[in-house]
Amino acid sequence: MGNKKKSKNSRGLRGFLHFLQHMLIAVAVVAILIVTIGSTVVISGLNGKETYDLHASDQEKQYEESELFNTIYGRCVADIIRFGVVRSQLETDGEFDGKKIIDVTAYNYRDEGLPEQYVTARYYLEDLLKWSKYGAEYTESYMTMEQADEFLGDKTMLTIVDPDSKYYNTSDANYLKSDIGSYTFVDDVSSNMLYTDGNIGEEGYRTILINRYKTAEGKNIEEYTADWSSYDTLCENVLTAMESLSYNYEEYLRYHEYYAADNTNIRYYIEKTVGDHTEYFTNMGDFDFESISEETDDKYLYYSPAEMIYKSNSDIAEGTVRDIVQQYDYAFPEDIKIWIAVDTDYQVSDAFTQGLAGFRNYLPYFWQWIALAIVAAVLYLGIVIYLMVNTGKESDAEGNISIRLSGFDKLPTEIAILIGCIAACIVGGLLVVLAEVYSELLTYEDFYSAWLKLAVGIGVFAIDYIFFFFFYSLVRRIKTKTLWQNSYLKRLVHKISVFALEVYDNGNIVIRTWVPYIIFLLFNLLMVLTGVGIIIAVIVDAFIGIALYHDVKERQNIVKGIEKITEGNFSYQIEQNNLHGDNLVLAKSVNSIGNSIKNAVEVSMKDERMKADLITNVSHDIKTPLTSIINYVDLIKREEVDNERVRNYIKVLDEKSQRLKQLTDDLVEASKISSGNIVLHFEKINLTELMNQTIGEFSEKFEQKNLTTVMNVNASNVMIEADSRRIWRVMENLFNNIYKYALEGTRVYVAIDCIEVEGESQKRVEISIKNISAMELNCNPQELTERFIRGDESRTTEGSGLGLSIAKNLTEAQNGTFEIQLDGDLFKVILTFPILQMK
Amino acid sequence: MANILVCDDDKEIVDAIEIYLLQEGYQVFKAYDGEQAIKALKENTIHLLIIDVMMPKLDGIHATLKIREYSSIPIIILSAKSEDSDKILGLNIGADDYVTKPFNPLELVARVKSNLRRYTMLGNLNVENNALFQVGGLCINDDTKEVTVDGEAVKLTPIEYNILLLLVKNCGRVFSIDQIYESIWNEEAIGADNTVAVHIRHIREKIEINPKEPRYLKVVWGVGYKIEKQ
Repeated sequence: MGNKKKSKNSRGLRGFLHFLQHMLIAVAVVAILIVTIGSTVVISGLNGKETYDLHASDQEKQYEESELFNTIYGRCVADIIRFGVVRSQLETDGEFDGKKIIDVTAYNYRDEGLPEQYVTARYYLEDLLKWSKYGAEYTESYMTMEQADEFLGDKTMLTIVDPDSKYYNTSDANYLKSDIGSYTFVDDVSSNMLYTDGNIGEEGYRTILINRYKTAEGKNIEEYTADWSSYDTLCENVLTAMESLSYNYEEYLRYHEYYAADNTNIRYYIEKTVGDHTEYFTNMGDFDFESISEETDDKYLYYSPAEMIYKSNSDIAEGTVRDIVQQYDYAFPEDIKIWIAVDTDYQVSDAFTQGLAGFRNYLPYFWQWIALAIVAAVLYLGIVIYLMVNTGKESDAEGNISIRLSGFDKLPTEIAILIGCIAACIVGGLLVVLAEVYSELLTYEDFYSAWLKLAVGIGVFAIDYIFFFFFYSLVRRIKTKTLWQNSYLKRLVHKISVFALEVYDNGNIVIRTWVPYIIFLLFNLLMVLTGVGIIIAVIVDAFIGIALYHDVKERQNIVKGIEKITEGNFSYQIEQNNLHGDNLVLAKSVNSIGNSIKNAVEVSMKDERMKADLITNVSHDIKTPLTSIINYVDLIKREEVDNERVRNYIKVLDEKSQRLKQLTDDLVEASKISSGNIVLHFEKINLTELMNQTIGEFSEKFEQKNLTTVMNVNASNVMIEADSRRIWRVMENLFNNIYKYALEGTRVYVAIDCIEVEGESQKRVEISIKNISAMELNCNPQELTERFIRGDESRTTEGSGLGLSIAKNLTEAQNGTFEIQLDGDLFKVILTFPILQMK
Repeated sequence: MANILVCDDDKEIVDAIEIYLLQEGYQVFKAYDGEQAIKALKENTIHLLIIDVMMPKLDGIHATLKIREYSSIPIIILSAKSEDSDKILGLNIGADDYVTKPFNPLELVARVKSNLRRYTMLGNLNVENNALFQVGGLCINDDTKEVTVDGEAVKLTPIEYNILLLLVKNCGRVFSIDQIYESIWNEEAIGADNTVAVHIRHIREKIEINPKEPRYLKVVWGVGYKIEKQ
């Protein structure tokens, strides 16, 4: 209950954090917007909308003292000076003069000064402007020398600057000085000299400028030149002058409009004196420089370099004005007076009034807004990180944390991506449309309005909400690893691979070998043919190589498994999880063969063990009554029985009960040995010692039957590894056998020899025990070691018939061999053991 | 004479054992399961207990464990279970001897005697004497050249005596035939035959109750002979 509540609480907290996150980014963006709007002014000036910074230091000042005002004012000053230049080019006495004569070459050289002599032509201004508007046209024509001679003028007309002129070789010798008024350039140069040695050059194709307009003299260009080189130069000059003037004309029109008295609060008056000619440029009536007074509300500046006067009640420095003027020193002589003022009554709506509006809206608490934006952004990032880490987390009743996926998260990845893309397109499209529409429609008043900020805030909130809806979904998908798992692509890849493997697994040998091989070949061929594909082919071939390697490796594993099973490790299983095709079939078969063998062995072992257990239990049950029989027979024996026959009966009972005892013991032991139910404790055994001990133990029994033991030790002190009590049991059984069945009065031969067995590196020791049987041995030697088989099948004599069987099994359990040879009455037992060491 | 409690669920076996023990002059108490045995032990002064393993109600192993909580009388386990592991279990839980069924009655009587003697003589023989060697119930006085087993004198030939003395002095150590031969006969053992083995067998027959399952003189097959530490 408590946990559920907690889980709900944490989900509620996360919901609140989501909301807070979107709010914070909206707050941050709006704050930045406010700071931006509040600290800048957008003013539509001469060259379209321009942004001016508002400075915090302006806050306490009057508008007219602010940097904003001075910046706008400064720009206007630069504009007016520039306007003066353009007017001087295009106007005569303050009015546009289309009939003004332009010396094109001199015009082009207005900046750097005239060369000593040059070719030129003079056109009316309006002709050049019209020509430029129409565009220059050329014609290509082949001309022989004669035709060229005819086409070009007889002589090249050069204008030469008079060395005596004050303009000669000075930077003052430039175009405008010739251009102003009647002070023409021609006056300063010598009368035109005519050059006759023009070089027409060879015949060939020539580019001819079509003369749309004739010069002021009514001539064509080619008439001024007698050779191609000066012709081309002159054409070039005409074109350059035409374009430059045309550009200036456009500008002139705009300035004229913008700085007309009805459109601006700017008042200007420029007086320029060149020689004895004085010109005025103004947007007002007459003006008297003497009337300039510092006692005015208006802002003004007055610059007169000739008088060394600079007066202004604005922040604009003299140097600024001088720099501007010097840029156009070809247009402005030293004798110039510039007066530019701003009417601070602002009767006209212009840049200054727009600036004033921005200035009035200047933001209070500038830094506080920035701090707010930063704090909001930092908190936003913190929340984003926190939510990224915790999104989807949910703890169940036991406190285990799992990731809960929303319905959207469970959609296949590709669909989610598609929805995300659509959302991005819609949002992006909306933004573009809004930007397009509102950049046109928004007035600068709108920028200061509250609704814009609210709209931006809501927009940012929405965009952030939409983006993070997808983003957190992505994070949750990555967390639960469903990004790839839950994608169509994954399903497709999986299906293809399953299909390919199915075809491979179920196909016959042709499909499995030739089809992949042909695909492989075709692919390589195709890739090699395309050129760049070689790289892809190499990569794919490398993968195929790896796949082949894996295939062979798998088979290697199977071979290893078969070897293990062959060695007797029947429980070994070949890992078949990642196998396919033949390898899988092979591995399954080998595993099932291994399992079958293992089961068979286990069943047989279990059977043997059960048999041994049964025999052991039965023997316990036999032993108890047998104990009574033996005890009471013994008690009867102690009674004084006179009857000879009864005494014989008792003797039989005694013997047979003892034999029964022996039989049960042997039976248990034999069954245990053959079922592998014994534990051997191997130690070093000295065979000679063992044989001596054994013979010693049996010395009295053998004496009873007059048996003599002859021992031949040809390998003395041979050590073998065996369980000492079990090997004694072997010897005891063998010697007991001899004691029971050997012919009385014969010799028993015991020999120890060292032998080498073919195919074995280790030497073996051979113990052979020979004796003469008392009875005829009419049976197979192998049968003697079978359980319950004895030399005489009548089973009348003592013994259980298990002695040899036990001896054989115990010998073999101790890595020995046991063999019985029969040769007439000669009974021979041969034991061999691996030699551990020889002393 | 001593009181002996015989416990076996087979009444005939108990009766037979009673006959043998009565012949030797012991007083016999009878019980037919573990609980009766414990009850009889509490009610009478018992000097030795012969107990079967496989019995109803309380088996011999658990009965022995219980009895050992308060009594140190000799206990001989009598069982049809003849595995080594059974014998080791019986001796480990506190039995003094283990006799497998079917048993030789004379051997059982001998073991009863031996255990009783050792129990009653315990601690009486600790006389400081350098010439006295003792291993369990086996005692050799080198001064008088006397050998006793559980207090009964045993007659040995000089060679047998010397071999036994050698083994008892080096109790626990295994001597090979050659080593015994060289230290007794003081000759190099070239081609030492089974002489030593025959002597050892004779000694066993004299000092052991059952020479096939010796208590003191053990054969380490293929290695040699030793006196087992008790």
